[in-house]
Amino acid sequence: MANHSQLGFQDASSPIMEELIEFHDHALMVALAICSLVLYLLTLMLLEKLSSNTVDAQEVELIWTILPAIVLILLALPSLQILYMMDEIDEPDLTLKAIGHQWYWSYEYTDFKDLSFDSYMIPTTDLPQGHFRLLEVDHRIVIPMESPIRIIITADDVLHSWAVPTLGVKTDAIPGRLNQTSFITTRPGVFYGQCSEICGANHSFMPIVVESTPLKHFEAWSSLLSS
Amino acid sequence: MAGEGDSEPEKSFKLLGFLDVKNVPCARESVLYGSVGSLVVGLGHFLATSKYLHLLHLPVCLFVKIKSFIFSVSPCRVRRSCDFAVGGFICTMLGYWFYCRYNLAQQRIRQRMLKEGMRNKMLFEGSSFDPEKNQTGNERSNS
Repeated sequence: MANHSQLGFQDASSPIMEELIEFHDHALMVALAICSLVLYLLTLMLLEKLSSNTVDAQEVELIWTILPAIVLILLALPSLQILYMMDEIDEPDLTLKAIGHQWYWSYEYTDFKDLSFDSYMIPTTDLPQGHFRLLEVDHRIVIPMESPIRIIITADDVLHSWAVPTLGVKTDAIPGRLNQTSFITTRPGVFYGQCSEICGANHSFMPIVVESTPLKHFEAWSSLLSS
Repeated sequence: MAGEGDSEPEKSFKLLGFLDVKNVPCARESVLYGSVGSLVVGLGHFLATSKYLHLLHLPVCLFVKIKSFIFSVSPCRVRRSCDFAVGGFICTMLGYWFYCRYNLAQQRIRQRMLKEGMRNKMLFEGSSFDPEKNQTGNERSNS
């Protein structure tokens, strides 16, 4: 989860998020170069006298056509690479369904057994000491770590959005439509997210908690749930 | 997730308010090399376009050299040298950035292959898929 006053990304817990963070750093470096150039040109213009003698500027027009094209290519190529990487679907080990309601999420594991449960936010008054306000839920999603997971997202009533920043996942939950996304968690842990599409009065109070565990713990949990 | 008792997170230094040079890999080196590159290119252009360039080769005292350079300075030459310095900064910074990120990407790929190899070694140890077992078998058959 994010620390207080955190502006930057959370640490990545999936390969896609690692790539997104790298691309973000790359884009910022290009932005720094452009800002330096613009700041220098602004300074020059403030220091020099204005002139109306210019009738022809072929060279500078060539430069300010070619240079932005190069910048766009520098940004577009890695961006497209990540875009296609996000659309790759490996053979998923597990398929999970997430359904958005006003104002909670429900999850279904239907690969092997019919497991389903609702996930409500724990109100602040009932929150145990040391837990995170507005982020904890009564039933977390548990998934095996380092396994490709496919998640199918939809909604029951209005638009919602299933988002977990540290996994690099944000997918709209649209009534009457199934949206599919996939991810792999690179490490065990508990990952928090929140609904990311305005959906009513309690839009801010329907968090998502994903718990990534080793496979044997996941199996133990699913056996417990099904019994 | 930050827990209680963790040390304070490393403070960041954001260049122009957005680029965190301390925590972004290769950023600090890129900016530093870019600065050096801009100095070299700017100063190099300034010296190369000096009227008194030939004085560099003569055994003239340093004071005379500096005096000559100062009086040969024209605003246009300074401005052009600054242009070259800024261009040098951008080109050096971006050039080193791409070089460093390429090496970093290769290193990460090697780390992933190593991790995968170590996991497979543990998984396949003793089985027919164990490459060490196959290798030992080949050595025995060759001897």
